[in-house]
Amino acid sequence: MPADAEIFFEHAKLGRPLLASVGLHLGLTVVAVLLSMYSGRRGDMWGAGGGGDAIGVSLVSNVPLPASPVQTQNVVANESKGLTKSQPQEKQNEPDAIPIPDKNTKIKAKPAVSATKAKPKPEPEPETNEIPYGQGGPVSGPYGTFSAAGAKGGFGFQGGGGDFGSTYAWYVRVVQQKVSENWLKYEIDPSIHKANRVYLTFDITRSGQPTHVQVEQSSGVPSLDQSAVRAIQRIDTFGPLPPEYSGSKVTVEFWFDYMR
Amino acid sequence: MSYSHLKSSTYRNTIHFPVRTSAGEMLSNLLPIRTHIVRHSLLLALSFLVALPCFAQDWIRTGTGLGVEKVRLAASDFKPSTQDPKNADLLKAFNDTLWNDLDNAGIFDMVSKSFYPLEVPGNPSEVRFEAWNGPPTNASMLAFGDLGVTGNNVLVHGWLYDVKNTASPQVLGKQYTDAATTDGARLIAHRFANEIIFRLGGGVAGICESKIYFVSDRSGHKEIWEMDYDGSNQHQLTHIGTISLSPRISPDGSRLAFSSLNKSGWDIMMYSTELGRTVSFPRFGATNLSPTWSPDGTHIAFSSSRGGEPNIYVADASGGNSHRLTTDRGPDVGPTFNRKTGTQIAFVSGRTGLPQIYTMEADGTNVQRVTDQGYAVSPSWSPNGQFLTFSWFRKYGAGAPGANDIYLMDIASKQWVQLTHDGGRNDFPSWSPDGRHIVFQSSRSGTEQIWTMLADGTKVQQLTFSGHNTQPNWSWK
Repeated sequence: MPADAEIFFEHAKLGRPLLASVGLHLGLTVVAVLLSMYSGRRGDMWGAGGGGDAIGVSLVSNVPLPASPVQTQNVVANESKGLTKSQPQEKQNEPDAIPIPDKNTKIKAKPAVSATKAKPKPEPEPETNEIPYGQGGPVSGPYGTFSAAGAKGGFGFQGGGGDFGSTYAWYVRVVQQKVSENWLKYEIDPSIHKANRVYLTFDITRSGQPTHVQVEQSSGVPSLDQSAVRAIQRIDTFGPLPPEYSGSKVTVEFWFDYMR
Repeated sequence: MSYSHLKSSTYRNTIHFPVRTSAGEMLSNLLPIRTHIVRHSLLLALSFLVALPCFAQDWIRTGTGLGVEKVRLAASDFKPSTQDPKNADLLKAFNDTLWNDLDNAGIFDMVSKSFYPLEVPGNPSEVRFEAWNGPPTNASMLAFGDLGVTGNNVLVHGWLYDVKNTASPQVLGKQYTDAATTDGARLIAHRFANEIIFRLGGGVAGICESKIYFVSDRSGHKEIWEMDYDGSNQHQLTHIGTISLSPRISPDGSRLAFSSLNKSGWDIMMYSTELGRTVSFPRFGATNLSPTWSPDGTHIAFSSSRGGEPNIYVADASGGNSHRLTTDRGPDVGPTFNRKTGTQIAFVSGRTGLPQIYTMEADGTNVQRVTDQGYAVSPSWSPNGQFLTFSWFRKYGAGAPGANDIYLMDIASKQWVQLTHDGGRNDFPSWSPDGRHIVFQSSRSGTEQIWTMLADGTKVQQLTFSGHNTQPNWSWK
C-alpha cells in the first residue's frame, strides 16, 4: 500500500445504509399507524361524561372553606354579599356647541328669561347603605386576592377497573375543591397575566394521600407550574377513597387555569 | 391552546415524519443529518410507546375554574322507627344537634327545611330522588334516617345520599347505638355529622366532638371551664379559688396547662382531664405565664421572668429540662407553636415599645417581626401552619381610628385580612382543629363573652351568656 493513499477517491458506499434506513422508516410507519389505530383515546373529551356542570368563575380560597360565590377585593369580613347588579352609569349632558355667528343673519333679541323659572334642581341622591356589588361577602385577603379564570370545563372519566367518576362524583368534587383551596396564586410571577393551562397528573392512594405528582403539560410559566405542583404537595389527604371502591388507587389529571 | 389539539398534532407528526424523509430526499442528505433524523424518529416512536394509556386503573380529569361552591345539603328530620314514648324527646335533640353541626361546619349550603317535600324518607326505599334534586329543594346531598328507642338503648340508622347521582346514590350508611338519653342522642348526632363532614370535607375530621376551654368568673373566682364546641354542656374544671388564666389543652386532650396565682406569685399549673384534678408541676419562681404545647405534646413553652425580664422558656411536658429561648430586654409573652411543623414559635414582644408579633425557630434563632405597627397580641397558629390569627389595634393611641379586632395573616406572604369589625374589643383568638373556625373573646354584647366564627369572618355566633368569660382555647381534636 503506497504511503500517500488518495483518500478523497474512496467513495462512501451508500447502498446498505440506505436500504437499512428505508426499512427502518417503513417499520416505524407501520408501528405508528398500528398504534394510532389500536391504542384509542385515554378518556372522554373535555366536558363530556357524567360529572358536574360546567359553571363559571370561582374565587380560590385556601382557608379550608369553600370558595365564596362573590369575589371581593375587600379585607374586612362582611356577611352581606352586596347588591346583585352594578349602579347605572350617570348620564353626562354634553354642552351644546356654540354656533358660529353668521354676518348676514339678523341678531334676534332673545326672549327675556322669566325670573320665576325654576332652576333645574340637582336630583337627590338616593340614601343608601347598600354595599356595592363586589364589596361585600367574606374576606378574600391572603387567600384569594386574584380571581380564577371563568373557564368552562367538565369532567372526563374512564377506567378499566370501574367508572370511578360517575359512581363517586362526590369524591371528584372533594378533590377539585381541595386542590383549589390549596393553590396559592401569590406564588405565581406577578408579571404574568394570562398563561396556558398547566396539566398535572397524580395518584390518590386508598388512604387519600396524593403521590407521584407530575407536570404532564407545562404552561410555559415555571412559577405557575411550580405553584400547581406545590398545591398538590401541600395536601395531606383528600380523605380515604370510598370503602366500596375496589381499586388500590385513582389517577387524577388536574388542570389549572390562570388569569388575573 | 387546548390539550386535545396538542395530542392530535403529536399523532400527525409521528405519522408524517417518515414520509417527509423519503428515499429521494435521503440521497441528498449528508450522513450526520441522516443519523439525527433516524434518532429523532426513534425518540418520537419511543415517547409514543411510553405515552400509551394505562388501562389498569381509574382516571379522573378535572381542573380549576369549574365553579366550586358549597355543597347544597338537605338534612331531613329523622323518623321514629319504634313506638316508644321517649322517641319524641330524643328525636328533637338529635335533629337539632345534627342540623346545627352541619350548619356550623362551614362547608355546606344547608337547604332550608321549608323547601323539603312533605314526605321525608326514613330509609333508602322511601327516597324519591326527583323530589329532592329538582326545584325548589335543589339539593345535591341528602342526610336522612330513623331513630328508635328499645328498652334502655336508642338505635339510629343514618344515610347520606348523593341525590343527583341516581345510579349509585349512597355515600354513607351508618348505624349507631347508645343509651336512650338526650346526651346519648346528641352524641350520636355529633358522630354522624362528623362522618358526613369527614367524607364531603376532604378528609378533614369534623369538630363536633371537640371542646373549648375558657376562663369564667361565674363561681366568684376566675376558674377554668370546659364546654362543647357549640356552647352546650358548660361546666367548671378547677376550684383553686384565686385567679387562673390562659388554659391550654394538650394535643392528646389529657392535660390542661394554665397559669394561676399562688402565694409565691404566678405559676404554671397542670390539670389532668382524666383524673379530674390538678397534678404536680414544678414551680419556677418569679412570674410564669401563658403556657403552650408543642404539637407532639412533648414540650411546653411559656413566659417566665426568673431571669429578670419576662422571656420565652421551653421545657419538657413534665416541667423538667427548662431553658431560655429569648434573651432580649423587652418583655416576651404568649408563645404559640407552629401546629403543623412544631419547628417555629410565634410570640408577643415589647422589645420595640408597643407589643408586636414575632416568629422564631423553636431553638430561639431567626427572630423575625411579623406586624409592622400598632398593638398586636395573642397569636394563634393555624392547624395547617399557614396562618397566624391575632388581636391587633392597627392604629393605637388616644383618638386613633379603629379598634381591637381579630386579624388573620398568611405567614409566607405577610398579607392580612380583618375578620371582626364594628363590635367592641375582640381578643384571644384560637383555631378549631379543622382550621375552618376561630373561637375568640368579644365585648360586643356588653360583657366579655366567648364567640365563634368561620375563618373567613362570617357566621359569628355567641357561645356563652352569663358572667364574664375570656381566653378561650379550642381542643386539638
